[in-house]
Amino acid sequence: MGVAGAAVEARGLRLVRDGRRVLDGVDFEVFPGEVLAVIGPNGAGKTTLLECLVGLRRPDAGSVRHGGRALQALGDFARVFAFMPDDAPPPAEVSVATLLAHARRCGEAPPALAAELTDRLGLRPLVGARAGELSRGERRRVALFLALALERPVVVLDEPFGAFDPLQLLDILAVVRARASAGRAVVASVHQMTDAEKIADRVLLISAGRVVAFGTRAELGLRAGLPGAPLEETFLALLGGGGAGAPA
Amino acid sequence: MLQRELAIALRARVTWLVAALGALLVGHGFVLAVDLYTAGSRSVADSVLMAREFDPLAGVVRPTLGGLYLAVSLLAPLVAARPVAVEKERGSLGALVLQVGSPSRVVLAKFLASLAALAPLYAGALAPLIVWRALGGHLALAETLTALTGHALYLVLVAALATAAASWTATVAQASTLAIAVVLASWAIDAAEGFAALAWLGRAADWSVTTHLTPFERGTLALGGVGWFLAGALGLLALALVGARFDMPRGRRAAWALAALAGSACALAGASRVRPAWDLTEARRASLPPAAVRALRALRAPIEVELWLDRDDSRRRQVESDVLAKLRLARPDVALTAPLDDREAPTEGDRDDGYGRLVVRVGGRQTETRSTSRRELITLIFETAGQPLPDWSQPVYPGYPRVVAGGARRGMLAVAYGGVPLALLALGLAVTRPRRRPV
Repeated sequence: MGVAGAAVEARGLRLVRDGRRVLDGVDFEVFPGEVLAVIGPNGAGKTTLLECLVGLRRPDAGSVRHGGRALQALGDFARVFAFMPDDAPPPAEVSVATLLAHARRCGEAPPALAAELTDRLGLRPLVGARAGELSRGERRRVALFLALALERPVVVLDEPFGAFDPLQLLDILAVVRARASAGRAVVASVHQMTDAEKIADRVLLISAGRVVAFGTRAELGLRAGLPGAPLEETFLALLGGGGAGAPA
Repeated sequence: MLQRELAIALRARVTWLVAALGALLVGHGFVLAVDLYTAGSRSVADSVLMAREFDPLAGVVRPTLGGLYLAVSLLAPLVAARPVAVEKERGSLGALVLQVGSPSRVVLAKFLASLAALAPLYAGALAPLIVWRALGGHLALAETLTALTGHALYLVLVAALATAAASWTATVAQASTLAIAVVLASWAIDAAEGFAALAWLGRAADWSVTTHLTPFERGTLALGGVGWFLAGALGLLALALVGARFDMPRGRRAAWALAALAGSACALAGASRVRPAWDLTEARRASLPPAAVRALRALRAPIEVELWLDRDDSRRRQVESDVLAKLRLARPDVALTAPLDDREAPTEGDRDDGYGRLVVRVGGRQTETRSTSRRELITLIFETAGQPLPDWSQPVYPGYPRVVAGGARRGMLAVAYGGVPLALLALGLAVTRPRRRPV
């Protein structure tokens, strides 16, 4: 039985590589209109979890379900997910205009949405350039467009906010929030707790491939024994780095 | 999708560097061939009979395309593997597959882009032939196009091989190395003919690229050859598709890969057995005399030829390339056996009195000869069948001796070593140069 109304559910995701449990029974679900931030220390398994979620890695056990049905083939996953990988720059030789046009065609994005994203992500001045000529932040903005312009129910973003200055970040957070408000479910791995605080409706905290906590920021704060505390303190407390309520 | 992939393939500097290097190789082969052709042509200036031996297909086109063969074998994988491999290396292939929604569409688009990226390399081989024509050299259209078709099919095969290699490896370097290693394996089969240590590979001649490319270079369009290259390319593309299915469990992916390999092996073996071929050479000089061809086709009985010659015996190579190739054009069903091929590690000491025989069977009758002359063997076939030898006259091939010297030769050198490679580099520079970003 699935969780009613969930855009996607992950159930019991388990992955072992070289004898190490990279994911160990991860469960969560995300609803349309919701932004779920996946947080955790380096090496916690965030990227692996997202890759399993979108079908690019096959877990040893567990399933990803959409509409009550377990997704199997890559084509099934492609109908559900738009994905922005971390640190995977678009091909250097391709012009930004070609990349944007390709994403529009693949995603069947309405022209108005494509135009809005182009403007809000500040891509219009870049369309004449090739991807290889872009700065890191510009490349990330293009990569965000490629994921957000796809008309898929769930948008999965791996470290989408890391490359931006505070001013740009406000714009980017607003764009992502707007896609969620338009009915998409957004799952984003986030390294900076302050970013997660600004964007997330709920937070999934994982460590060593296991779910440490899952809920709203308030629920996590209560669980950590630090109601109303900033997410960073809650994070440290739940991981045993200080504060009350650290997991056993 | 194709626009994106074409940009990856054509805006890479390596594409144009490889094309320029390939043009140098082809140009060098062309210059050497023309110099040799010129030297021979000078000596036959006054002899019509000797002039007939001057065949630009064998003397110029084939050596020129030899440079292309080398370039395609060793350099093309660096370019053709790139569209898939570079995205795997950068980690963007998975997101692209999800974006497009189908691994097969992604792989096919990238394969087509690989072909487009190899077009400049192939164009570099056409330039010397145009120069040859400009210098007054003769080229018969049909036979030249046939030779070019063979090399185009080889190019397609290498592009598919590089795409498959890229699908199963993680980086451009790994993919190129794997593809070149497979090409070298085909060369090892060719080397088996004259190298005792590799003699055991001789039986794999049907798996060698050269076996299937040679008829094209001789101006004959072999249906089996076309089928072999296409079956190979399709098999490798199937392997590439399986390689790109990273959603499959490892065991299932391996099983599908084995199935693709087995299927292509069967298709290649089947294509090797397809015999029909058409002689597209000028004056049909790759064929037996027309009356002999008609009479051979009129013989109802099956024809068998047994060759008691070792694989490395030069007489055997002469019989195969001159006599049997022509006989098979007339009678694709002729059965050819070489019983000595079944011996393990044959040595000259093993050769008995029966060595060197050519046994001909037509219907239930059998005769034999030790001659490797074309006319002798065909006569024997008709004698065995109890028929007279038909008219042996053949359309006259006039031959096209050509002397390229002085200013013409200097112009040829400039084009072959400078003009074509530099033109490709300049074109590459124009295509790959970063655009000025708007302020």
